[in-house]
Amino acid sequence: MARKPNRSRSVEPAISAKAIITSFFLDWLFWGYFAYVVVYLLNYYWYTVYVDWYGKLVLPAWAWPVAVGGTFELAALCHALGHSLGVKALGLRWERTGPRVKLLHLLGLNGALLLGAGAFALVYFGACRIHGLPPALGREAAMGLGAVLGLVVVLGAMVFFSRAVPGLVLAPLPSPDKWTAPPPRWYRTLWGLMALGLFLLIMILGWHVTDASLKRLGNMVKTAYLWKALATPDFQHLLHPDPWLNQSILQGLIQSIFMALLATVFGAAFAFPLSFLGARNIMNFNPLARATYYFTRGVFNVFRSVESMLWATIFAIWIGWGPFAGTMALFIHTIAALGKLYSEQVEHIDPGPVEAVTATGASRLEVVRYAVIPQIVPSCLALTFYRWDINVRMSTVIGLVGGGGIGRVLFYYKQNTMWHQVGAVILTIALVVWALDYISGRVREGMV
Amino acid sequence: MSMRELRPRILIPVLDMVALAYLWSVANLFFGLILYGKELFTIPHWGWMALFAVEGTALWETFGRSLGMKIMGRDLLPRGSPAKRLRYLFLWHLFILGLPVWLLLRRVPQERGSGLSLTERTPGEAPVSWYRTSQGLVLALILVFTFAAAWVIAKVNPLLFIQRAKGTGLFWKELVTPRPSEFIEGFKLIVQTLFMAIMATVFAVIAAVPLSFLAARNLMRGPLARPIYTVVRGTASFMRSIDAVIWAIVISVGVGVGAFAGTLALLVHSIVDLIKLYSEQLESIDQGPIEAITATGANKLQVIRYGIIPQIINPYISFTLYRWDINVRMSTIIGLVGGGGIGFRLVSFLRESDLRGAGTLTLLIIAMVWAIDYLSARLREKLA
Repeated sequence: MARKPNRSRSVEPAISAKAIITSFFLDWLFWGYFAYVVVYLLNYYWYTVYVDWYGKLVLPAWAWPVAVGGTFELAALCHALGHSLGVKALGLRWERTGPRVKLLHLLGLNGALLLGAGAFALVYFGACRIHGLPPALGREAAMGLGAVLGLVVVLGAMVFFSRAVPGLVLAPLPSPDKWTAPPPRWYRTLWGLMALGLFLLIMILGWHVTDASLKRLGNMVKTAYLWKALATPDFQHLLHPDPWLNQSILQGLIQSIFMALLATVFGAAFAFPLSFLGARNIMNFNPLARATYYFTRGVFNVFRSVESMLWATIFAIWIGWGPFAGTMALFIHTIAALGKLYSEQVEHIDPGPVEAVTATGASRLEVVRYAVIPQIVPSCLALTFYRWDINVRMSTVIGLVGGGGIGRVLFYYKQNTMWHQVGAVILTIALVVWALDYISGRVREGMV
Repeated sequence: MSMRELRPRILIPVLDMVALAYLWSVANLFFGLILYGKELFTIPHWGWMALFAVEGTALWETFGRSLGMKIMGRDLLPRGSPAKRLRYLFLWHLFILGLPVWLLLRRVPQERGSGLSLTERTPGEAPVSWYRTSQGLVLALILVFTFAAAWVIAKVNPLLFIQRAKGTGLFWKELVTPRPSEFIEGFKLIVQTLFMAIMATVFAVIAAVPLSFLAARNLMRGPLARPIYTVVRGTASFMRSIDAVIWAIVISVGVGVGAFAGTLALLVHSIVDLIKLYSEQLESIDQGPIEAITATGANKLQVIRYGIIPQIINPYISFTLYRWDINVRMSTIIGLVGGGGIGFRLVSFLRESDLRGAGTLTLLIIAMVWAIDYLSARLREKLA
């Protein structure tokens, strides 16, 4: 058997524990997902077939170890015997010198599972024997502690065993210019089949989870009257205010556009100074500054994750329905989104001018003023225009949740099923958004 | 007079009239709201507005450097006597009344009658501060009145925060105190929301990839292909300006309120958006490989397979990831208008003023969006 000389093996660095753990974890996740889909579908069809059977398919106590152990075993088989998806996803490959190595690897993984199960059992049954603990708390705490400890033992043992098997190396995939033969087509490899399976599982589960059904899609035909009404818009209230709303479509539109304008301009004005606090290269002169950087970025990210329509709902409750709530929602979201984009611009500046200005003995503020700001102004302007586009788009729908503007008009007509008027509002919105998009696209082209 | 010479002479007054008319209406909007509480684009008869725009433009262009002249880079020279200027002013009206006629004549009447002419500005002029020029002042007025009108129309009232300060502390305290029992139900909804985004993206890619070839100008040449291109591209770019939220309120009537309606709404918007992004990518491909492969005698499909697809595959994937990102964000709010997912439960909590429940769901949304953002940024980094 061709074996590497002992000397070179000792020089070789140990296989990275992170790579072993991550790749195996991904495989385990795959089979865990598979088990989830199986249980979900079982649940779904059971429930659908026997409508009178009420309740959920609850896993019995013995099914949990079976599920955990079974998914682990399946993952171990894929991981040790073939080129599994988790290993491929990291751009790696197990290099094994023979079937004996594969077997040893599989045995090692199973040994890790046994050790982990043992650790769990030790903690869990041990804790159950401690007197004086409240039974419910004791059991749950023991369960949690045992699970964590078991997982640590499993992963540790896995790393240890994988390293201990002689002739087993987790190597990066060879680059295309080193190929001696074309690699097998993706559908003839294990990872390819696993990826295909993953895709199919996602689509099957997604079809059920989103309540998709072709029958309901077919019901759209029954609502032909709706599309017909939308296609024959009624522009009666385009200019003349609707007495019920006290607002015409055009007035609503103007309100929306002005809301977007205020939000964009004030948002940009607030985001610009804040963006320096969120730039890593500016805020690294002492620990406090670094803390400010992380805090600012964190706030930007949190506020950005909440969409402006959700902000509008919150503001509508907080300060009352109306265009001001919508403006505030757009404003807050604009600060966060532009703050992040601006600070990325600050981070990507050319350090040359900064060094030059610093060398003249300028203060930190002067450096920002004379070396940073001139570099970022053009791209920040382009980003602001881009944001203006988004704000116009959002301001037209923000009224649906109480934010004022043309969305309020749309909401009113929709609630009263006045579809001809809804058609008119949608057409107006589409035309204006399209026109403003086009104009700002031209302006941005001219600027960059 | 040639079209080239006539163009600035028409564009300059048009620009100035538009600017002055806008200034008039935005100022009237502001004062109308302040004085009468009504949105009026012109408080007196609209004839006054027209008079202001036309006569204002005439005076401005005769005696000063107007905004239009500044933009088009022209000046009225030489800086002659007041008499010449007056003659220019009167004849300018003749010019405005008979615009198309001047194409036939050698010079426009106001220039022939006064001896002045709109000549291109010579560079190398010392800059003047904005508040000492008429166009700077008019621009400033336009901005001031735009913001004033916007402020009034958007009903901006920062005092509201003070008036409602009493409830604010409780409001935010409730909002940031999660209710643990809500996490499990919320997690299920997060899964549903995520799947809405995934389904919409996958089906949108399936639909948009073939359609993008029909919407690429450089591939659709010929008498039959060109109309198809125009129709597909035009429809896509128009439908793109209808937001997914609007699609959701329409579609939810058709298929019923729920996750399916939200998925379909996201799907429609994703398809038209991806068609635009994809086809722009197709239009910017390198022609070299296509010509080389055509030269080997390959048929159309082979050209696409070996000449085009290798060039577009990576941008397509990164656009898809970008779109998936947007879909994840949109799927969280599409439920607010009847699209199912987490937004649906969230909005019902907010309607019942159950702020703790709403805060819990918002927390879950933040966590999900953050995670997906990170994941797709990493993936795109790898692709780039």
